[in-house]
Amino acid sequence: MQRQQQVKIPTKQNRKRRALSALALGGVFSVVGATSMAAKAVTINVTDESGQPVNGAVVWFEGVQLTKQSAVTQLDYKMGQRDRSFTPHILVVPKGAQVSFPNYDSILHHVYSFSAAQPFEFKLYRDNPQALTFANTGVVELGCNIHDWMLGYILVVDSTHFAITDDKGVAEVTLAKPLAQDVTINVWHEGFANLDQPESMKMVKLKTNQTLTYQLNQSLFKPKEDFSDEFDDYE
Amino acid sequence: MNLTTMNRSQVLSACLLSGALSASALAYGQGSQHKGYIQASWQSASEYASWYERGASVNRFGAGDNRLNLSRAVLDSRFDLSSSWSAHSVVQYVPDPESKVGFTELYAQYKPVSKGAYQPQLRVGGFYPKMSLENPDIGWSSPYNYNYSALNTWLGEELRIFGLEASLKRSGKRLSKPSEHNWQWFAGVFKGNDPTGAALSWRGFSSHDRQSVFNESLKLRPTAGFMTPQLSGQAWQIEPFTEIDGRIGYYLGAHWSYQNRHSLRAYWYDNNGDPAIVNYDTGQYAWDTKFWSLAYKFKITRQTHLIAQVMSGNTAMGRSRGVDNDFDSQFVLLTHRWQKFRLSGRIEQFKVKDLDHWAFDPNASDGGAITTTFKWRITDSWRLGAEFQYLETKVANRIDGNFPTRQIEQLWRVSGEYRF
Repeated sequence: MQRQQQVKIPTKQNRKRRALSALALGGVFSVVGATSMAAKAVTINVTDESGQPVNGAVVWFEGVQLTKQSAVTQLDYKMGQRDRSFTPHILVVPKGAQVSFPNYDSILHHVYSFSAAQPFEFKLYRDNPQALTFANTGVVELGCNIHDWMLGYILVVDSTHFAITDDKGVAEVTLAKPLAQDVTINVWHEGFANLDQPESMKMVKLKTNQTLTYQLNQSLFKPKEDFSDEFDDYE
Repeated sequence: MNLTTMNRSQVLSACLLSGALSASALAYGQGSQHKGYIQASWQSASEYASWYERGASVNRFGAGDNRLNLSRAVLDSRFDLSSSWSAHSVVQYVPDPESKVGFTELYAQYKPVSKGAYQPQLRVGGFYPKMSLENPDIGWSSPYNYNYSALNTWLGEELRIFGLEASLKRSGKRLSKPSEHNWQWFAGVFKGNDPTGAALSWRGFSSHDRQSVFNESLKLRPTAGFMTPQLSGQAWQIEPFTEIDGRIGYYLGAHWSYQNRHSLRAYWYDNNGDPAIVNYDTGQYAWDTKFWSLAYKFKITRQTHLIAQVMSGNTAMGRSRGVDNDFDSQFVLLTHRWQKFRLSGRIEQFKVKDLDHWAFDPNASDGGAITTTFKWRITDSWRLGAEFQYLETKVANRIDGNFPTRQIEQLWRVSGEYRF
C-alpha cells in the first residue's frame, strides 16, 4: 500500500490515547520485570533533527545475547476501535503474537491491511471480535473501508525488548542483564518517508540502566490536525 | 383506484426482499447491524391545518396537532452479504397524517476493499442521492436542526432514486504522489420519481422532518386550478415516486474534499419526465423536473462547522407545459458542539417562480426561515432538544381558500429521543 503522507495528529485526545498505550506497555514491562528481579530499564531519548523530543517513536533491540521472552509474545495484545479511531494508534508486538481487534464502538468497522507482512480484512461487529497471529515482521498499516480516515499501525518486530516514546520522547526498555556483544537499537516512526525502513544504530555493549539519546536522521512528515467527525462516513 | 392493492403488493415484496436479505446474510455467515431511534415531540402547531390534511399550512403539525406525539421511529439496518456487498434498509414510522410505516431506503451496495487510489462503488435499489451535507445521521435525519432546511425537506418529500448509482472514488492519500484532495464521481439512472415537483408547484417549499416512504401518497389542498378542465386529470394527492412516462431519468454528481476539512458536493438531477404524459387511473402527471444542487461544509474548528447548500431548477407538467415553474432555495447553517451539547442556527430562503400563462393556477411562492436548535446528548442512548423556528411563507394560491397569502409563524418544538 502507498505511503500515507497524512500523519495522525497529536490532538489532545490522541495524546491521551498514546499515553494510555504507553501505560499499557509499561504494564507489559512491569510483568517482564517481575519475572526477573534484577531487570532494569535502558532509557532512550529520541529526538528529531533539531533535538526536540519525538513522541510515538517505536524503539526495539535486536542482538544475539537477547533471549526472547515468551511471556511477552503470549501477552494479550489488542488493537481496538473507539470513536472511529484505532486505539492504540500504534501497537508494537513481537513476531508470533496474537492480536485481537475489539470494537468498542456501537457501529461496524471493516478493517483491512494490504501490508506485505500481513494482508487481511474482516468486518468487526461490536460483539464479535476477531483475532489474528502476526507471524512476519514489518509494518502493518490498518485502514477501515467504512471510515476512510481511520489509520493505525501494528509494528511486528523480531524482538521482545521494545517500547514507544512518550510525549517527552522517552522510551524505557527493560533489560534483564547487561549486553556485552553487538546490539542493534532500531527506531521507527510513522512520520518516516519510508515506513518499511526503520533507522538503527549498533552498540558494542549496553548496560541495564544506561541512558542514551537517539537523534533521527530524517525529518518527519508533519502531523495534520484531525478534523474527522462521526458524520464523515456519509460519503 | 388500485392504489391500495399496489401498495400492499409492493410493501409485501419489499418485506419479502428484506427477509431474504436477512436470511442470506445469515447463510453467508456474515452479520447484520441495526441502528435506530424513537422520537417523541411536542410542537406548537400552525394556525391552519397542515398541507397534507388538505390545509393551507406548510408545517408538519397543523391546527390541533400541538400535543405530544411519537414524531418518528427509525430502523436503519445493514446486512453484510459478503466482503464487498451489503444490503441496507431504512424503515420509518410517522404518525402524520395517519400512522404509517414504510421504507425510505432499501438498496444493495457494492463497496470493495480497494488497494489502489481508485475505488469503484455501486448502489442498486431505492435510495437518496448523497447530494446534501445536512442529513448524514441515521435515516437521513439531520444532527443539527429538527426541521430540515426547505430544500432538503423537499428532497425528503419528493425525491428518491429507484435505480442504479455507480461511483468512483479517488483517495488522495493513496496516490503514488499523495494529495490531500479526495474526489468521488457519481452517475445514476432511475425509473419512477416522475411526479416530483408537484408539491413545490402547488404548496411551495416547507420545513419539516417527515420523509416520504416508498409508495407514499401525499394529499394536497385542492386549489381553484384543480377544478378547471386543464387540471381535471390531476388527483388531489401526489405519488412522488411513481413511474408515469416510461422514460429513464439520470443524475450526475461530484464530491470533493480537502484535508477532511472542506467538502463540496455538486449534482445535476434530471428525471427526464415527459410532461405530456398523464396516468388517468392515478391522476398523476409526469413532471419534467431538473435542478442542480451545490452543498458545502467547512469545519472551521473541530467543534464549529458551517454548512451551506444552494439549489436551483425548473419543473413543468402538461402537454404545452401549462404548469411551468422555476424554483430555488439556499441555506447557511452554523453549528457548534460543546461537550454533550450542540447549538445550531440556520437561515434560509426559498422561491417558486411561476413562468406559465395559466392564470387560473398561480404557483408563485416564496419565503424564508430562521431556525435555532439546542440538542443535549444526555447519554449515548438518550437525547433531548428544543427548537425555535421563525417561518414566513407567501403562497399565491392560498387566496383560493380565502386564506391570507402570507403566513408568519413562530414554532417551538421539544423532542426527546431514545437511540439504539
